[in-house]
Amino acid sequence: MRWWVAVAQNEVLLPGDMAGLIDTIIRKGEALVEEVEVYIAGGESVSAELSKTNIGIATGSKSLGLGIRTIDHGRIGSSGTSDPAAWRKCLDAAVSSGTLATPQEWGGLPMPSVQERPLLSFDPEVRVEAGIVEKAIYNMLKGAEEFPVKVTSGSADISTGYLTLANSHGVRYSTKKSMVSVSLEAISDNSTGYEFDQSVTGSVDPENVGRKAAFFAHHGRSGEGLPTGDYSLVLSPMALAQLLGNVFVPAVNGRSVHAGRSKLAKSIGEVVVDTSISMYDDPFRNYGPGSTWWDAEGVPTRRIDIVRDGVLTEFLYDLKTGYRYGKNSTGSALRSGYGGLPGIGYHNLVFDGPRTNTRDEPAIYVHDVVGAHTANPMSGDFSVEISNPSWIENGDFGNPVRKAMYAGNVFDLLKEIEGIAHGERVIGAMVLPEIRLSGQRIIGI
Amino acid sequence: MNMGRDIRYYDVRHVTGQTTHIDIDNSVIESAGTSFFSTAVVRVLGPSGWGILTIDNYSSPEGREFELLLSNAASLAHITTEPVTLADAPHGVLAVPPMKEDPRDVSLEEKTGVLGEIESSARLPGIVNTRATYIERDEQVYFIDSSANEYSFGICRSGFNIMAVASREGNVQMGYERLHSIHGLNIRHQQEMGRSAGERALSLIDAKAAAGGTMDAILDPELAGVFAHEAVGHASEGDLVHEGNSVLSGKIGERIGSSLITIVDDPSLHEFGFDPVDAEGVRVGRTTIIDQGVVGAYLHNRETLASVGNGVAGHARASPGEAPLVRMSNTFIEEGDADLDEMLEGISTGIILYGSRGGQVDPGRGVFQFNAEYGYVIEKGERKAMVRDVSLSGEILSTLHSIEMCGKERKMSQGYCGKGGQSVPVSDGAPYIMLRNAVVGGSGTE
Repeated sequence: MRWWVAVAQNEVLLPGDMAGLIDTIIRKGEALVEEVEVYIAGGESVSAELSKTNIGIATGSKSLGLGIRTIDHGRIGSSGTSDPAAWRKCLDAAVSSGTLATPQEWGGLPMPSVQERPLLSFDPEVRVEAGIVEKAIYNMLKGAEEFPVKVTSGSADISTGYLTLANSHGVRYSTKKSMVSVSLEAISDNSTGYEFDQSVTGSVDPENVGRKAAFFAHHGRSGEGLPTGDYSLVLSPMALAQLLGNVFVPAVNGRSVHAGRSKLAKSIGEVVVDTSISMYDDPFRNYGPGSTWWDAEGVPTRRIDIVRDGVLTEFLYDLKTGYRYGKNSTGSALRSGYGGLPGIGYHNLVFDGPRTNTRDEPAIYVHDVVGAHTANPMSGDFSVEISNPSWIENGDFGNPVRKAMYAGNVFDLLKEIEGIAHGERVIGAMVLPEIRLSGQRIIGI
Repeated sequence: MNMGRDIRYYDVRHVTGQTTHIDIDNSVIESAGTSFFSTAVVRVLGPSGWGILTIDNYSSPEGREFELLLSNAASLAHITTEPVTLADAPHGVLAVPPMKEDPRDVSLEEKTGVLGEIESSARLPGIVNTRATYIERDEQVYFIDSSANEYSFGICRSGFNIMAVASREGNVQMGYERLHSIHGLNIRHQQEMGRSAGERALSLIDAKAAAGGTMDAILDPELAGVFAHEAVGHASEGDLVHEGNSVLSGKIGERIGSSLITIVDDPSLHEFGFDPVDAEGVRVGRTTIIDQGVVGAYLHNRETLASVGNGVAGHARASPGEAPLVRMSNTFIEEGDADLDEMLEGISTGIILYGSRGGQVDPGRGVFQFNAEYGYVIEKGERKAMVRDVSLSGEILSTLHSIEMCGKERKMSQGYCGKGGQSVPVSDGAPYIMLRNAVVGGSGTE
């Protein structure tokens, strides 16, 4: 069953029309400013949401957005609209916004240079169909039945999208994206469990997601308190993603670095992470959620070794920040939507190093953390609640812990890594292993 | 309108508008501009549950085209199995309060200049970065449902954030202030907010990391508001209660806290979380969630009111283009009768916490966490050394019992609350409150 039988809108974006629209906007824009960039993103999705063990909501979405950026004598303007027919108003708003911006060093938008290549973040087999999300939901519920818990909520979502980037130097790049994701939450007494999976190709394992969410809910019942003190911890990829994303990633953003907002600003060439660890952005990862041959302003992407063997080697730049501070763009421009200017980010952030067994010795397992966004992004200090804290004993889950607060500093803990586990998980656009840390402060009750 | 056999109810919420933003970073105007949006949500209640379409660039189709849209939504509803019913609820729209100075009448150039004054006022000696952002969102909302309810209104929210960063020998700290409003342009004559952000960042450079542990704590009105929001507000949301994912499920009429504590959510208040009508067309009003320490009511939409009971509908809210969820609006702890001095005198060793960097809750487990911007150690009733990076966590069902004093003066602060991938404007507030034996987190060891 295809959910979108017929629509009365958005038909302006037939492929031929889209090309014509882009050419028109660029031609009209060039009469007003030196350079014009047009960004069009659209897509469709279908999702199903559980309310306990019943599907309560099925949603179909159709999204569309047009973004315009103009540059004139180093003044950058931008605007966006969800109505491509209103492109003229959008173009005028972009030009007008540019007149207010502070002029800066600007060496031009890129020329066309990226050849057409296979799509990296798209699987043509992914179909946006309600029947598929329905099946995924029931498979999660089946997995959850392995433990005596109550499912509280869950969802399954399939989306596909297209992006086109064009500029007045002749760049006309297009790509497609696909994503399938599933998640489930369960509860047993007052112990909750959450798990999810995501994949560009749809190779998610809903049954396993259901089983794991139910396991954590079941396992966490009747945990004991823990005295305040220093402990060895095993951080799951999900917990690591939260801490890296809220503190480390902003600190290697070139704009933060030059604006005085990064603790790592003067640390190039220094050891900032345990010397066994490397962190790099891999935009060419096959079926990586953020994989792309060109960034959000048309600069060819490349692998960026942010940290090599523990040593900080490179920051991330887009064109604007690069031109301003005399650096080359690293192809790290990203857009979160059609409005506003592109920002700096990573495509697929990979955390790597020699693998070991992280569960040989006893430790407290951290499945996820509550409140990572309240960490201090400047200093790296944080104190968060641990989700599903549990002892790891004899390589497996031992006694659960009732409540534990984890306090530390992200920059410090990265130097205290004792080992990283075999295997990895894709969390958002990060590819992360489980890690083991020693001497971490837990505030108990 | 022919609704079709499988459609028990439908509604359409179409939001059009524009967002204006200004970003000034270290005196450079990084961007200043406006973007436009038009997006709609069409909901159909089928034989079981909801079929929903979200559509960018909605063209308000009529007649046969609209019927086709409804039938598309109805076909989605076929996979639902939840037996949804909708409680009856009063309809009606409140007037949106007039703005003192309409931001839409002030040029972007002028607003950029005024924001620049706030940004430069934060640039004190020792400050390495200042950044001011302005956001203005003008929304025109049109709603119609199959019960012949129809309304429209416009609302404009605007405000600013100012951040200052101080740095010394690798120690980097920030101070920030924010002010957002539904009452019109609020950026004029706010240089004091900029200076305050700068001074805070500078003082935090010399502050020590807080030592974690269990201790008595006083929360300022902003942080106590976040406490009400995280520790109680989310767990009272009817959808979570229905799912069994809240420790407040089944607790109506039970005492879960000190009789000093009354916690309210009221979307009709003219604060930042104000809605003239909820996202299902229901009239908005006050809900007393905790009444003198006893669970009084939950927050509901029409569906959760029917399935759970205890409370009123009118708490459905939605970001433009998103389906409505049960949400908080203006959430606060009612005033008590204590003075701050009295609270301080009652503490021999403890901590007083100010400001908020946000928080999070696991409502099913009943554990919450939130973070203060800064605090001071209390020794023998007096404020001593400043501390930074300090959090507070607790268990919902035990923490409210530990509130021993509640101040006389309530103050509301504005923010945005995330749930289900949506972000809606809210305000939280409280008077000063004093808690015994709070779990305070910090990485310091002394």
